[in-house]
Amino acid sequence: MEKMKIKKILIANRGEIAIRIMKTARKLKILTVAVRTSAEPNAMYLSHADEIFDNTESESEIPVFLDIEKLISIALQTSSDALHPGYGFLAENAYFAQKCLDNGIIFIGPSPDAIYKMGNKTIARKLALRSGIPMATGSEGNIANSEEAVSIAEKIGYPVIIKAASGGGGRGMRIVRKAEEMEKMFTIASKEAEKAFNDPSVFIEKYIENPKHIEFQILGDKHGNIIHLGERECSIQRKHQKLLEEAPSCALDKLLRKKMGQMAVRIAKAVDYFSAGTVEFLLDSDRNFYFMEMNTRIQVEHPVTEVITGIDLIEQQIKIANGEELVIRQDDVKLKGWAIECRINAEDVQAGFAPDPGKIEKLNLPSDKYVRIDTGIQEGSSIVSSYDSLIAKLIVSGKDRKEAIKNCKMALDKVWIKGTKTTLPFFRLLVRNQKFQEGSFTTAFIEKDLDRYYYNSEYEEMLAAWLTTKLFVEENLQEKNTGSDDGMKEEMSPWLLNKRITQF
Amino acid sequence: MASEQKDHTVLIITSMNDRLKINKLYTLSSEKKKFVFNLPLKSSIRIGKRDYPVQLKSDEKFGTYILWKNRKYPVEIVRSRQNRYEILFNDISYTFTVETPFSMKRMKVIDSVKGRSGQETVKAPMPGKIIDVLVREGASVLRGEPVVILEAMKMQNEIQSPVNGTVIKISARPNTNVMKDDVLAEIKVK
Repeated sequence: MEKMKIKKILIANRGEIAIRIMKTARKLKILTVAVRTSAEPNAMYLSHADEIFDNTESESEIPVFLDIEKLISIALQTSSDALHPGYGFLAENAYFAQKCLDNGIIFIGPSPDAIYKMGNKTIARKLALRSGIPMATGSEGNIANSEEAVSIAEKIGYPVIIKAASGGGGRGMRIVRKAEEMEKMFTIASKEAEKAFNDPSVFIEKYIENPKHIEFQILGDKHGNIIHLGERECSIQRKHQKLLEEAPSCALDKLLRKKMGQMAVRIAKAVDYFSAGTVEFLLDSDRNFYFMEMNTRIQVEHPVTEVITGIDLIEQQIKIANGEELVIRQDDVKLKGWAIECRINAEDVQAGFAPDPGKIEKLNLPSDKYVRIDTGIQEGSSIVSSYDSLIAKLIVSGKDRKEAIKNCKMALDKVWIKGTKTTLPFFRLLVRNQKFQEGSFTTAFIEKDLDRYYYNSEYEEMLAAWLTTKLFVEENLQEKNTGSDDGMKEEMSPWLLNKRITQF
Repeated sequence: MASEQKDHTVLIITSMNDRLKINKLYTLSSEKKKFVFNLPLKSSIRIGKRDYPVQLKSDEKFGTYILWKNRKYPVEIVRSRQNRYEILFNDISYTFTVETPFSMKRMKVIDSVKGRSGQETVKAPMPGKIIDVLVREGASVLRGEPVVILEAMKMQNEIQSPVNGTVIKISARPNTNVMKDDVLAEIKVK
């Protein structure tokens, strides 16, 4: 076994993923450095680090996790020999990865070249095309104007989708169903792309109606070995934001898994990929699949793959960054059981999943053996609007999908969060939904197949009505009358202690 | 006092400062579901032939909650205004208005007038700020057509007409704040 050159890792991230990385680092006896920010000076992730760099005095306009120069200087000051970017922020910034290398810091991720090529969707498309990867037909490269878009759309047939070349996360994307809409949608997509990615260039491709989102986990080392760890099903999404992921997918059989897995490995080989990565595909109702994009980072939903393969992906990332050869061969990868991840976010499902930041006042999470929780939040933590709204990832396993769903249903009822609204009522609905149970859902599921986004059991509304009535009586009952009923008065006290009424 | 309890009458001072002797309260959901509670309010809820005790409790681990049939449900008051309450119950918010038999009678009269004319209201689905009003009084709208842009949590939401019809009144004003379920516009059904 190769000697571990990495002695200390700067975690260029926060929240649950920072903790997730630090846990594995500790297991490998590597020290970690976390950055304290003024946005969350008491965040939970800080308590997991061996060393804290205090950046609360910084007057920079740029948040530190997006500040390339600052992060490099922190790494050098703390003599960190490696840096882990987590996900989001600078995780897929080729320039940042290069800057780390230039300063002699090991970037725990792929090469800057692979990040750049996969980050640019038109380059990625060309590479995939050259490698013979199935793809939705579309423009060769970027398109200059809406006239060009119309002429290509007429060739490939409507509907088409306009996508940002530097895009991701659903921004800069517009579906066009007829030629008359093209000019307007082209302008919107291009403007949105420029705003979000500093690059207005867009391309178009055939829009696949109601597909499933299936992605493959890839692992590659610096010696040319690349394997896949099976798929994740991420079709439960809203406005391209994933809410629930599972592994494996009930839409794939052994043969299709093998075929798609081979293609995923092939596209990774096209950029000499190393580290952990994800190849995203769309799968249509005829089981045709199309390459969508490759994410060159560890993903939020990586735990479901870890659960069914027993492989610690962060450990693999660190060992690969250290130059070690992959010990796991493709044939060693066995998928065992089923895993489901629910992203419990501070969001209001009754208000279109709008973020609902606030202080987490109570937090009780299940600890059953079929549950894994990845969180960076504890009681007293705040969900701040400057960062994402993730409270915790509830990862539930079972011997098969049916059991995993059953366990998930139980686990959801054991999660107790007070202080903000959460996506829990949505998941409670989902696990009871027939289409979800059957597995026949697509990426259009939330928008098309659900008429409400939350579940409440039969008597909950009535209990809420009782409570409201009680409150009304307490507020309006004449004082001398309350005195006659001591039992009631005693029961009122919780309200008096906890009342947080906004008077208008 | 004792006699009042016997005939289930309780003296209530309403927000209008009327002194009323009433024996029941009507608690109406925003979807017009009606729950009737006799006074004094009992600490149990009847399902079929059985009374199930319901308790409001609070402790260090769970905060405030309702205990019913051996299950705990987290609860919180989101906001209240006069007889209107928004309650968070098991992570879902409910808006109720509490009516006395007298105010209930008044409401029924108003409702029947509205019902005859075939009117629908466009209500704010969440508290927020009115950014734009997209229709004018007198305009005809189709079901699903955006009527108002409401900003909540930095996101702009299109509030749509629930029916095909004619806009007869617009109560929403740009740059004003609204509460959940505030009436934004009234539409005469076609």
